[in-house]
Amino acid sequence: MRKLAFSLIMIVALLPLGSLATAQEVVELEFWGGWTGPDGDIMDTLVQQWNAENPGIQITLTRQQWSPLFDAFVVASASNEAPDILAMHPQELAQFIVLDLLTPLDDLIAGSAILTPENYLDSAWQPNVYEGVLYGIPLDLHMHGLYYNLDLFEQAGIEAPPTTGEELIAIGKLLTVDANGNHPDDEGFDPDNVVQYAINMHSNHHAFFQWWALYRQLGGELISEDGTECAMDIDKAAQAWQFLQDLVYKHHIAPQGQTDYARDFLSGRTAMLIDGPWQMPAFEAAAADTGFRWATSQYPQVFDEAYAVWGSGHNFTLPARVADPEKRDEALQFIEWLAANSTLWAGAGQLPAYREVMESEEFQTMYGREAFIGMMPYEVFLPGIPLYNQIFASNAPTPMMVMAQSIMLEQADPISAAQTACDEITFILQTQ
Amino acid sequence: MRVLPRPRALAASERAVRPYSRWTPYLFLLPYLLAFLTFRLGPSIFGLGMSFTKWSIVGSPAWIGARNYELMQIDPRLDAALKNTAFFTGLTVPLLVITSLALAIFLNQPRRGRALGRVAAFTPYVLMSTVVGVLWTWLLEKDFGLINVYLGKLGIGGVPWLMSKDVAMYGIILTTVWWTVGYGMVLFLAGLQDISAELYEAARIDGAGSLRLLRHITLPLLAPTTFVVLMLTIINSFQVFDQVYVMTSGGPGTATLTLVQYIYTTAFQNLRMGYGAAIATLLFAILITFALIQAYLYRRGVRGVGS
Repeated sequence: MRKLAFSLIMIVALLPLGSLATAQEVVELEFWGGWTGPDGDIMDTLVQQWNAENPGIQITLTRQQWSPLFDAFVVASASNEAPDILAMHPQELAQFIVLDLLTPLDDLIAGSAILTPENYLDSAWQPNVYEGVLYGIPLDLHMHGLYYNLDLFEQAGIEAPPTTGEELIAIGKLLTVDANGNHPDDEGFDPDNVVQYAINMHSNHHAFFQWWALYRQLGGELISEDGTECAMDIDKAAQAWQFLQDLVYKHHIAPQGQTDYARDFLSGRTAMLIDGPWQMPAFEAAAADTGFRWATSQYPQVFDEAYAVWGSGHNFTLPARVADPEKRDEALQFIEWLAANSTLWAGAGQLPAYREVMESEEFQTMYGREAFIGMMPYEVFLPGIPLYNQIFASNAPTPMMVMAQSIMLEQADPISAAQTACDEITFILQTQ
Repeated sequence: MRVLPRPRALAASERAVRPYSRWTPYLFLLPYLLAFLTFRLGPSIFGLGMSFTKWSIVGSPAWIGARNYELMQIDPRLDAALKNTAFFTGLTVPLLVITSLALAIFLNQPRRGRALGRVAAFTPYVLMSTVVGVLWTWLLEKDFGLINVYLGKLGIGGVPWLMSKDVAMYGIILTTVWWTVGYGMVLFLAGLQDISAELYEAARIDGAGSLRLLRHITLPLLAPTTFVVLMLTIINSFQVFDQVYVMTSGGPGTATLTLVQYIYTTAFQNLRMGYGAAIATLLFAILITFALIQAYLYRRGVRGVGS
């Protein structure tokens, strides 16, 4: 009896050693990302492909929407259980950097032949550098582009999409039709009974994304260099807003508030659509199903100071507060592999930031991509400041959301709305 | 805070038999007490302490005294959140109480399809808030939404339900009433079934019409139920969050920003746990005020019935 007990104790005591031996063979990595649409399925496929090719490094991808994902990340970090790899957008880095939640990458990638600035577009690499230190490896870029309905353009006798603000308004009037067939400049045009608008108009965060592009086209700055106050040029800010507001309330070529921009474009209710490259898979599907004919063009240059278009992108970061920092090399191996294999990712519409893939013929010839690829060097990110969420978040009444919605939905005066937002931004920067 | 009347004193004969120790009742209360301390009272006290600190969840909190409470006095967003929440509560509570009572009375009468009607009225309540939010975002859409299609037939054109700061809150209120009316209805149904049929019969023999039956029998005897429904609805309304977050995220502008959303955004999105806790303390104070009023009125009510 005693012997049996002793053997049992020995077996139980030795069990952990056995599992330790197998644990050394397989490195397990936690990878979190906020892709919940078709892009998430593609990322899942890529992870499965990696797992099949690399039995020694097994990755688990956890997906949920960005906002709760970051909540979970912060809470996990507090108990040193952050994921090994976390995807985000470059402008969101600073809020986590100031809390010491992310690992500086410069030394870690010093030996890599793949993860070097030369292999990436500058517009993709630079936003990942905060105060001279690299914290993210770019995966892709996205920005606003102009989609247009080829059938509606042909019916209206328009040959090319607009490239400037004036062209947008002129073409827009031809493409806007009321129930009696009148256009905005015709006598008897009824702005309350429009059956086809020329273009969509955002009333969510994409409204201030568009404003940001136009404001940057005027050369405007938003936050002072020392990060303590709003540096908005109110005249330029109002000028940019006025252009957008006029499309709705003066020229009547865009609707006042839509729920589903892509649906309205697909159903021909708007002839053009300003949106990101992530819409392409849906339009490709519609083209295959119903013969929907669409094409893309660059976001118009409305102001002459400099061409700029709102954009962002996805990147990879290595959280600092993880259970086992020794796994960082394996994490970087996966990020390197993903860079070279991002053609599949491009199927989700995103634009690979890795030059070799971006310049490959396979990617360049994908339908509709050309216009977006041309804009990659010109995209402007929102300021990546530590208080990014307080000022720019889309799921709360942030100063930017309030400014955008009061101007685009309530027809507020752009000058006073911009001034209010600027005051609020300074208030936030100085009190939080 | 006792809300129940003191039990009457035990008679001598009863006192002689003591089948259980004097601690037994407390032993029965212990499991709940433990849960209450761990998940309610403990966190509340922790939150109160947190409201005097600056803390981002990571790292350790820094004591900043009453600074969070000073900030609350000059915060325009908090002002908006308070006003919106009060407006929402002020309108939702009477609407919910009246509609759930009306539904309960209607569905308490023996009629065909009564069971189906009850199920139909209660079903929305079991739906998840996200489902309700998405569903009503579509129903309330300006151009293609079902609500506006019917309003259009009545000659009311394109209400921009969730797109205008003037009507967005009404859209939320409509959604909330549809979603939660079943809960009050079930409570009222239970209350109605407690009222003896003999009372109605006697009154009818005396020649009372249905309006008088409602006024002199149903409503007075339902008073305790009404009271419970009223209080639950008030407390729930002050804590409105999910459907607003899904449908408008507090917009357009700050038109539908509520206290709980502001707490959530401040604490978990902007990582300002201290300030979030301070606002939560304010909400706690509001709710406890209503709870105290409830306790006071209830005690008076019980005495009233007794005398």
